[in-house]
Amino acid sequence: MGTVAILGIGLALSLAGCRPEETGFFGTTEPRHGPGELWMNNAGEPEWLDPNKCADGNGGEILWNTFAGLVQAHPATLEPLPEIATHWEVSADGRTYTFHLRPSEWSDGTPLTAHDFVYSFRRLVDPATASKYATNGHIFRGGAAISRGEAAPETLTVQALDDLTLEVTLENPIPYFLHFLTFYSFMPIPRHLLEDLATRGIDPELWTRPEHVVCNGPYRMTEWTFRQRMVFEKNPRYWDATNVRLERVRLAMVESYTTALNMYAAGEFDWPGSNTSLPAEFLDELARYGDFHRHPYLAVYFYWINTQAPPLDDPLVRQALSLAIDREALVAHVARGGQIPSAALVPDGLAGYEAIPLPLFDPDRARQLLREAGYERPEDLPPVTLMYNTSEGHKQVAEAIQQMWKKELGIRVELENQEWKVFLANAEQMNFQICRMGWTGDYADPFTFLELLTTECGNNHSAWSNAEYDELLAAANRESDPSRRLARLREAEALMLEAQPLIPLYVYTRSQLIKPYVRGIEGNHQDRHPWKHIWIDERRPDRDRQPAPAGRPPAPPRPPAAVHPSAAAKEKAA
Amino acid sequence: MKAYVIRRLLELIPTALIIILGSFALVRLAPGSPFSSEKEIPPEVRRQLDAKYGFDKPLPEQFVRYLGNLLVGDLGPSTKYPQRSVNEIIADGFPVSLTLAGVALVWSLLVGITAGIIGAVRQNTVWDHAAMAAALIGISIPSFVLGPLLVLLFSLRLHLLPPAGWGDLRHVILPGITLGTIYAASIARLTRGGMLEVVRSDFIRTARAKGLSERLVIWRHMLKGGLLPVVSYLGPAIASMLTGSVVVEKIFNVPGIGPYFVDAAFNRDYFLVMGIVVLYAFFLLLLNLVVDVIYGFLDPRIEYP
Repeated sequence: MGTVAILGIGLALSLAGCRPEETGFFGTTEPRHGPGELWMNNAGEPEWLDPNKCADGNGGEILWNTFAGLVQAHPATLEPLPEIATHWEVSADGRTYTFHLRPSEWSDGTPLTAHDFVYSFRRLVDPATASKYATNGHIFRGGAAISRGEAAPETLTVQALDDLTLEVTLENPIPYFLHFLTFYSFMPIPRHLLEDLATRGIDPELWTRPEHVVCNGPYRMTEWTFRQRMVFEKNPRYWDATNVRLERVRLAMVESYTTALNMYAAGEFDWPGSNTSLPAEFLDELARYGDFHRHPYLAVYFYWINTQAPPLDDPLVRQALSLAIDREALVAHVARGGQIPSAALVPDGLAGYEAIPLPLFDPDRARQLLREAGYERPEDLPPVTLMYNTSEGHKQVAEAIQQMWKKELGIRVELENQEWKVFLANAEQMNFQICRMGWTGDYADPFTFLELLTTECGNNHSAWSNAEYDELLAAANRESDPSRRLARLREAEALMLEAQPLIPLYVYTRSQLIKPYVRGIEGNHQDRHPWKHIWIDERRPDRDRQPAPAGRPPAPPRPPAAVHPSAAAKEKAA
Repeated sequence: MKAYVIRRLLELIPTALIIILGSFALVRLAPGSPFSSEKEIPPEVRRQLDAKYGFDKPLPEQFVRYLGNLLVGDLGPSTKYPQRSVNEIIADGFPVSLTLAGVALVWSLLVGITAGIIGAVRQNTVWDHAAMAAALIGISIPSFVLGPLLVLLFSLRLHLLPPAGWGDLRHVILPGITLGTIYAASIARLTRGGMLEVVRSDFIRTARAKGLSERLVIWRHMLKGGLLPVVSYLGPAIASMLTGSVVVEKIFNVPGIGPYFVDAAFNRDYFLVMGIVVLYAFFLLLLNLVVDVIYGFLDPRIEYP
């Protein structure tokens, strides 16, 4: 929306008003509240606060901090750690997990049992729940059939052996299962509350409103002023409450990123939070401040190609298009967020995966491929349309690529921007030639990206279908040896990139600002930062810094690299 | 007079119906669905969601049902905020937008009329030129420039007022000024123009001849005549302050209903879009009627047929 770009004027002005040479930081450097509090932004109201139904980042931020699942992700490495489950056993075939739960309570004092997890997992896949993330429950055996309405929810292979023992059987021995289980879809649901509301004649769908809600995580909601703020207080019944440092978290619902930045500068936020992005046009300037941090993020920016529509039905043409893009220039001059240029879909180093080495830019080879495809002169090639959803950032990338294709290959490219829902409808109906997309990995495994290209995947907008590819992925998922599994996944990706049903451009990074007195926000590639690890540091070595001398500003102080948060433009949807 | 008002009220019914039908058709014919996202939803889940909100029924049936609910004051559920009804959302947001428009109105009247009087009384002096130059600037600066400028000055530099948010009196000042300034500028010009028009009329000369003090002449006689055009301007101005606060509410994160005007349409939140349109349409129709009636009081030459 135009206003968003326009709002940027305000930030430009505020940037002008506060130079790093004054304090080294962007805006205030003292907390405006006591040490037990954190003020942050959520960038918007959540759709659902029901773990089974939630499907957006605005809800996820809250669920991760108000509910506790079987396992939790390490704040820096994301490695699965015990949470409600103290330990677990895995069967030899890697399909059956037995979790042993610690005795714990819901926030209303009701004991939490394995039955609450069974209830939740069945409810997730039950079509009656109408969860947009029902597919997350397809990892359990029988889950897919249940969400298609072909089997009863009770047939899900999840059972409580006793109050504190839970056994689940998976469809495939996937190695990322425990990590996937940290996702909010798999949090327990207080069945007793939903049933109680129903008997009292209250719509059980309203169970997450603050007057009713019962949770089992580190925090519980105590105030919800719609579209203004939510307030969370420490939940004394959380099993690990003694290690929760902040007493209160105030979460604001400021949608405009530039407004959020103004509020950060004025000290109304200690941290804009994972759901707030910094506007790309100010990144270069903001990067000069000491409270600026950048981290890789598990998300890839790419272009889908409709492989059915000529002239893009020819793989040689698709490869030529990919090779004619100067990705390094694109990242350095257009995206400008320190993104990692990539011609492969799966980011390098993801869960031990070695990225497919492909040239980031090879215009000579691109021209040669186009000739091989039978297009001796560029004017032989009909014009191609590139569709993107309305956004200043997507437009700039599209314009740059339009220029590169014109310069290197002589191809005429028409740009077409569409409002998000129209864009989605056209992408779904394959009503495009090339369209932009971003994909955020749900878990740290190459499969989260490679699954996109399978024949049956509803998110595959290339119309590319390859039986060998599908079989390689299926075989990889049946494989219980991790290195053999990765090898098969890699083989599949190589095969897919040869056919080029999509053109990867870069791996996202996350840039954000954190006040110098905020501690405990660790860097990780999924940009998840549990509040329970965050604290306000009252000892401040930087507080008594000498004012910088006039003239050239000194380099702003930078906190140790390891302490820093990740986070990317969560702009899958933006 | 009474008959006129009743007839006008009856005429509102077909107009309102056309507006409701038109916006219903437009929002439902737009491509996309409230439930679409970049992640595929299983078809069975999609079917359940459509059934829950009645989107699986034929459109005419949905329209009739919507009208029926509207008659009993039920604006339906929100698909984007499923924990809330459209009635709740509007009940939360509309008083906020009204408050903001009220502050903007007071600001625009105070500043506008003062500047207009100064301009008229000190016509062609430095004061007049300064007031009118300020008015010209006020009309020319859009709210998306003025808002951030005020934030920069009063929040980030002087630390006097919060840069955004809602809650207490301090939150209302900057957005109120941002929204009201453009109207203040128009009011200043109208006041000055209106006063200058009467300044040379016989009754002013008579008033002066009677020996009335200059203050009394200005306040009791000139201003009264001078404000006529301002009053007729206020009807549309109030309506546009109410409906035109989209940008100001975004900049200052004011939880009014302005932003829904755009966002609900982008989200295909069908019932919320309709609810906002119906509310705004109702207000605009009513304000137009009120203005027409007030004209009659101000100007005896107007007759109600």
